[in-house]
Amino acid sequence: MPNPKDYAILFDASRCIGCKACQVACKQWNDLEAEKTENRGSYANPPRLTAHTWISMRYYEGLRPDGDPYFDFIRGSCMHCTHAPCVASCPTGAMAHREGGVVTVDEKTCIGCRSCVQACPYEAVHFDEARGVVHKCTMCYDRISNGDQPACVKACPTDALTFGTYQEIRAMAEERVRVLKERGYARANVYGLAELGGTHVLYVLTEHPSQYDLPKAVREAEKRAATGWLSAGIAAAALGAGLKFIVERREALKGGGQ
Amino acid sequence: MITINLPNPMGEEHWGLWIALYFFLAGTTGGAYLLSVLFYGKDQGLVRRSALWAFLGVAVGAGLLVIDLGQPLRFLNLLLNGFHPASVMWLGSWFLVLAGAGLLWVYLKPTSRGVQQGVAVLVALVVGYTAVLLMQTAKPFWNASPLLPWLFLASAATAGGALLQLWYPHEKLSRLVIASALVEGAVLALHLIWTYPAATPGVLALLVGPLAWAFWGFVVVGWGLPLFLERRNVALAALLTLVGAFLLRYFVVMAGQV
Repeated sequence: MPNPKDYAILFDASRCIGCKACQVACKQWNDLEAEKTENRGSYANPPRLTAHTWISMRYYEGLRPDGDPYFDFIRGSCMHCTHAPCVASCPTGAMAHREGGVVTVDEKTCIGCRSCVQACPYEAVHFDEARGVVHKCTMCYDRISNGDQPACVKACPTDALTFGTYQEIRAMAEERVRVLKERGYARANVYGLAELGGTHVLYVLTEHPSQYDLPKAVREAEKRAATGWLSAGIAAAALGAGLKFIVERREALKGGGQ
Repeated sequence: MITINLPNPMGEEHWGLWIALYFFLAGTTGGAYLLSVLFYGKDQGLVRRSALWAFLGVAVGAGLLVIDLGQPLRFLNLLLNGFHPASVMWLGSWFLVLAGAGLLWVYLKPTSRGVQQGVAVLVALVVGYTAVLLMQTAKPFWNASPLLPWLFLASAATAGGALLQLWYPHEKLSRLVIASALVEGAVLALHLIWTYPAATPGVLALLVGPLAWAFWGFVVVGWGLPLFLERRNVALAALLTLVGAFLLRYFVVMAGQV
């Protein structure tokens, strides 16, 4: 669980209008270069996060089982996990938690091994070919450590994004879900309370997280590695003993027969 | 900041050809050393010669890892920038250094069998950690089943045995290679079935997609044909097994990133 005084962002999908002001503000404040993209039949553009795109809105449209149309938006970005797989898998300590629970990468230490790129279940860390290091959302650490809001939150015109302490943000999210349920959104929920030790970015959703391609029940990198070590130990012992048995037992039998 | 960024043949941020080649070199030569210690401990000439190959495999493999980094000149950060036991990459870097030193020692100086077995434990860690490294990521083809270490260790035994066979065509080795190849095939089939629900695109890419050439190339040329030829033409069987071992590492590395 994050510290109650940690920094946190709330994304309220029920208030979002999908205008991409946050995406643009992020590019501007962090001085991220533009990318050449193409129309893929969706408003999502670029279609995924990259080293130069730290927020990318995702769009979900269709008909619900009862025939009602829906058009939903998700702010895809780093979730600033408490048990962050990128931090656990980093061999140099370049990817680390800073004060307030924010996860950032130290560009001067990063060696560009891409362990974190492979480890992130939100695909929020990406490798910058030109500079040989990885980049990701910093929660605008330069702004928030000086008492300001992150650029994306500042730019949001509908209060879908809110910045505050984890305690405030979590209370706000839970209150919003209560209100949404009263208004008939029976499946309204908060995403990010249980995932990876609690994330510092919380989502208020009106549908199940799988509707927005958000992973549920993500295993922590430490646990995945522990399973791997255990399996490797058993495999080494079993294969070593098994091969020894198969090969040398036959030899012993042959020797005994002579 | 000095940047030497050698292009990765696979492009983008993927772990690609260099990584697969390293897995192959370390797995094959390490497997050969493990088998020689496990089954031919009395033949000090063979043990010391296979220690030399394994040293070369580990050294060249480590070189490939360094040129694959985004910042190769900072590779010492892997070892000297703090203690990160949760990171499989960090542990693996130390295993590589320690196993390399141990192998060189076994090759250069007459050592007791206890020392050679101790170095064999380090080499087994080098062979095994590569699978745990993949399992620590968020990619379902690598971590949805715990079988990857079994696959890599069985493949190391098959390919290591094949390497020894090239100038030590001994009946015991043939039986060993056949036994471990059968285990390897069974583990691979089980892994594909197990990961299919979580990693459907990756498994399909192997069976019928862009990686089918590597997968079926392995199954037919690198696994089935050597099993058939094992009793007929050992040298050809061993060479094909080595090709298969590379194809296996290659398609496992690529399928996780489909």
